[in-house]
This record gives sequence, C-alpha cells and structure tokens, in this order.
Amino acid sequence: MTGTWVDIAFGVFAVAAAWFGWRVFVTDSMVRATFSLLASFLNVGAILVLLLAEYLGVAMFFMMGVEMTVMAIYMVAFMMNPAGLNPMQMVHQPRVAVVVGVLSTAGFGAVALAADLDTVAIVDPDGTIRALGHELMGSSMLVMQVVGVTLVATMVGAVVLSAASGRFGPADVGSVPPAIVPGDDTTRPGVDVGGDGGGHDHDHGHGGGAHGHDDGGDA
Amino acid sequence: MIEVAGAAHPVVGALVVVAVLALGAMAVAVTESVVTAHVAGSPLGSAWSRPWRRAALVLARPQPVTERPDTLLWVLAPAAYVGMAALGLTVLPLGTVWAVADVRTGIVVLGSAEVLAMVAVFLHGWAPNSPLPLVAGYRFVAAGLSFLLLSIFVLIAAALPAESMSFGRIVASQEDGAWNVLRQPLGLPLFLVVALAVSLHGPLDVADAGELAGGTTAEVSGPARLAWGFARRAMLTTYAVATAVVFLAGPAGPLLPGWAWLAVKSLAVVVVLVWIGQRTARVPVERFVRVAWTVLLPLSFLHLAIAGVVTLA
Amino acid sequence: MTVVTVLLVAAVLLGIGTWGVLSQQSFVMIMMGFELAINGVMLAAGALWRFTSGGEPRGQVLVVVAMLVMAVEAAIGFALVVAVSRARRADTTEGIAELRR
Repeated sequence: MTGTWVDIAFGVFAVAAAWFGWRVFVTDSMVRATFSLLASFLNVGAILVLLLAEYLGVAMFFMMGVEMTVMAIYMVAFMMNPAGLNPMQMVHQPRVAVVVGVLSTAGFGAVALAADLDTVAIVDPDGTIRALGHELMGSSMLVMQVVGVTLVATMVGAVVLSAASGRFGPADVGSVPPAIVPGDDTTRPGVDVGGDGGGHDHDHGHGGGAHGHDDGGDA
Repeated sequence: MIEVAGAAHPVVGALVVVAVLALGAMAVAVTESVVTAHVAGSPLGSAWSRPWRRAALVLARPQPVTERPDTLLWVLAPAAYVGMAALGLTVLPLGTVWAVADVRTGIVVLGSAEVLAMVAVFLHGWAPNSPLPLVAGYRFVAAGLSFLLLSIFVLIAAALPAESMSFGRIVASQEDGAWNVLRQPLGLPLFLVVALAVSLHGPLDVADAGELAGGTTAEVSGPARLAWGFARRAMLTTYAVATAVVFLAGPAGPLLPGWAWLAVKSLAVVVVLVWIGQRTARVPVERFVRVAWTVLLPLSFLHLAIAGVVTLA
Repeated sequence: MTVVTVLLVAAVLLGIGTWGVLSQQSFVMIMMGFELAINGVMLAAGALWRFTSGGEPRGQVLVVVAMLVMAVEAAIGFALVVAVSRARRADTTEGIAELRR
C-alpha cells in the first residue's frame, strides 16, 4: 500500500478504536460492551499491522478474540442486567472519573507532542517477524522464560483463588449479600428488618444460625 | 516450487473469494444431500436437486419475532461468520503461485478467523434473546475454547518443516519433501475434528444441534436461516481447502493446473467430512470437552514434538 | 500516520480506559477499563518501535510483555471476582465497602 492509503486506513482504524472504546462504558448490554472492547482491540491490531508489527497485530486478533469471549461470559454471569433490557446506571464518582480521564489523555498527549522523537526508518521491513522470532528465542530468552513462569504462577493462583473449596473449608461459608446502603445491615437483601434482634438470611441454609455474619453496626 | 506470492489486486481477490465460497457452499450442500441419500439407500436422482428445493422452501418461510432481540448483533453474526470464512480463505494458496494474500502470518490469520468465528456463533445464539439459542451459544464457546488449541498446535507443527507461517511456504515444503499427511500422520485427524467443530457440522455440531431445537437457529427462519446455512457451508469450504493445503500439498500435482488439483483435493476432504458427519452420532459437549483436554490436546503436544524431531532429523 | 498521531490515539485509549476504571462500579467493567488502558500502552509501544527504533526487535518484545500483563490481569482478576462473589456475594466495589473498616 502507498502512503496515502496507509494514512486513510490508519485514520479509520484510529477513530474506530477510540469510538468502540468509548462505547464499552456507555452501552447497557454487557455483551455489546464486551464485544465493543473486542472491536477496539481489533482496530488497534490493525494499526499494529500498518505499523509493520504484523505478527503482533494478528496475534492480538487471536488473543483478544479468546479473551473477550471469556470476558463476555463473566459479564453475563456477574452483571445484574446483562442484556441491557432495563436501563440502569452502574457508575460512581462520574465527574472525577471524566476529569481524570481527560487529564491523563491531555498529559500523555502533551508528552507525545512535546517529545523530540527522531524518526528512524526500519532497516529490514520484510524481516520483522523473523527478527522478532530470533529475538524471543535468542537474546530475549530470559524475558520469555519469565513470561512462562509468570503464566504458570497465574494459572495456579487463579485456580487457588477461585476454587469452591477454599483454604479454610468451603469458600462461601457465611457469605451474605452486601447491604444495598453501605454500612446499613438492615438493607441487606434477605435480612428480616425488625426481626428477632438480628439478621438471619434465608438465601442459603448451611451452618444454620452459627454462621451469623459480622454485623457491621456493632463495630 | 511455490514462491510466496504477494497480494492480488483487492477487487480480483474479493471476487475470487466470493466465487470460491459460493461454489464451495453449493458443493457442500449437494455432497450432504448425495451422502444422505447414499446412506439412506434412497435413489440418488433427486439428491442433486434437493438442496435447491430446500433452499427455496427455507427462503419462503417468514421470520418469527422474539421479545426484544439484539437486532444489530443478530444481523451481524451470520455476516461476521461468513466474513471469517472469507478471511481464512484469503491466506490460502488457491492455485500454483497464487493466493489472494499469502501473508507471512498465514497460520495466525487462520487461527484468528477461527476465534472470531466462535465469537460470531456466540452472538448468533445471544442475539435472539431466547433460551435455547443462548444455551447453544454457551455450548459452542465451551467446545471452542477446547478445539482452538488443537488447531493452533497442528498448524504450528505444519509450519515447522516449512520454516514459515505462510501457507504458500507450507505447500512448497511438501513439494520438496513428503506430504504432511505422511510426514505428520496425527495432524490430519486432529484437524478434521477442528474443521467439523468450527463449521458446525456432523458429530461436533454443538451449537445448532437438533436436541436444542436447532440451537442458535431455533428462532431463525426465512432468508436469515438460509444465510446461516450458507455461512456454515462456506466455513466448511474454507476448512476443507485449509486441510487440503496443509496436509495434501494443496495446488501441487502433475498435469492439471494448480487450482484444479486444489479443487479435487478439497472436494475429497468435503466428502470425508460430510460422510463422517452422516455416519457418526453426535457427541455431548461435556464429553467432547473432556476428550479434547485429556486426549486430543496431549496428542497434539505429542504431534508437535514429533514434527519438531522429524524436522530437525 | 506519524509517531505523534499514533501516540495521540494511544493517549485517547488510555484516557478512556482510565475514565472507565474510575467510574464503573462492576468489577468486570473495571477490568475492561484496565484492558483498554493496556491497549493504549501496546499501541504506544508499537508506535515507538516502528518510528524510533529502526526495527530493533526488543521493541516488539515490550508489546509481548504488555500482552502478558493483560493476560495475568484478566486471569487473576476473574479469579478475584469469583472469590469475592463467593465470600461476599458482591459484584460491585460498593458491595465490599466493609473492606474499608
């Protein structure tokens, strides 16, 4: 492709990456949010291909496709309104967040504009994949080994953290839903308000009365 | 000797991809009909025309309306699925010294197309806002996360003797040495599993299975159903061509031109895949996932190790 | 497409990600914000590799490491979401406000 076409393609991918990134946090449907994020990643992958980091760009398609599919399943599992059928707002400190977001964009943008970056042409544009392979399996082997060990540790850690059989018995013993108003235990879902002096939840039966949740009000 | 071809003119490339997918999907439909007739022992005469009559029937049906579907994703899902079939086809050599775009990262592009096809099937199940399609979408993701790894290891093994991730080079390495079906005997059956699963065919059609009332297509009828049927067969076409390229040296062969050899080999793979689909029982998804992680995945590791040793020897 | 324009796009992605992390209540949405920010980081690293390194492959290794960070973040993040959900029945930051005390 010639330079003009690269510029046009870059413009399209850049706008799409940012637009889909913004859509992630404004759509009601969790599946749409997740796959908007995937679309943002795909556009960044396409820009990486334009940047001649061909392998990394295409690998990004692959990796993000898998990761966002898993993400979508977690989104549906852990959001109370996954399909966005009931409009709802699940945000806090919106003003602070916008200000910090704009400031960080402005800050990094200012760095990009102010930095005196010399453009150096790539010596061998056709050999970037081979060079990356030799680098990963050669002088950067230590990096790859750290990557491998980190991923193994991640796998072990993720299984330990998420296992249903926790370190001290079943992981969900004594688990009660959080109070809707933080700190006010009478607003816990499933708690009898004005009952026999304390809350007991009806959600699950194991442990009977012995597993009483730590009442925040006493502390 | 096939050199890595550059990119074809975009218009030519797009036309070729559309033509191959359309012809391939028709060939798959007719093969399915003929194999079904053969298996059932019914006369073959009507088998040739049955796909067309069934397509016309499907086209004439009205589309039911579900409660608050995600209309945009419902329309996009079949388009994305067939688009991924097209993306996979662009990196495959379709004739001697010719591919639409024989990129250096060919096997990663095919793997990405497979992953994004999984996303498309999930969305196809999600969008109607209906229980059975949603279940089908989840089932396909469970199966997909299992078979994706298989295909990647098989493709990496094929890339080892070629010393390149380009499919053109993979064909060239088979012309210089032996075909991968002989050199890497475990690869072909593993890749056929992937081809059946990703194109929602036969025993591994976990998404559109009958016991889920058609799975992701339970709420789809009319032109949209025809589009999905086309998309599945287009995907099977892409994976048949990929199988022919990776294991049967694709366009390589004497006398006939390259595209003709590729067509013959791909059609043979289609017949094998459809025949397996008609002759084997459907696999429950949890059993498939168990077998995939405990048997097939270790086999693919072994396959990769053997391919590495053979390449170095 | 110059180094400055690509870095500006990366800054925008990073800013949107930061906004998402700070404003969202759901754990999974917060993770999506982190991922978008890392997306911007990878783009910036790719741009600097392309325009200022002359093709030095170690620049691409930096992007690989960013991908590792994202994979670890996703895996451990989901595990923590599951753990908190089991222990506290919570799926938002407000749900575990007890941790403050």
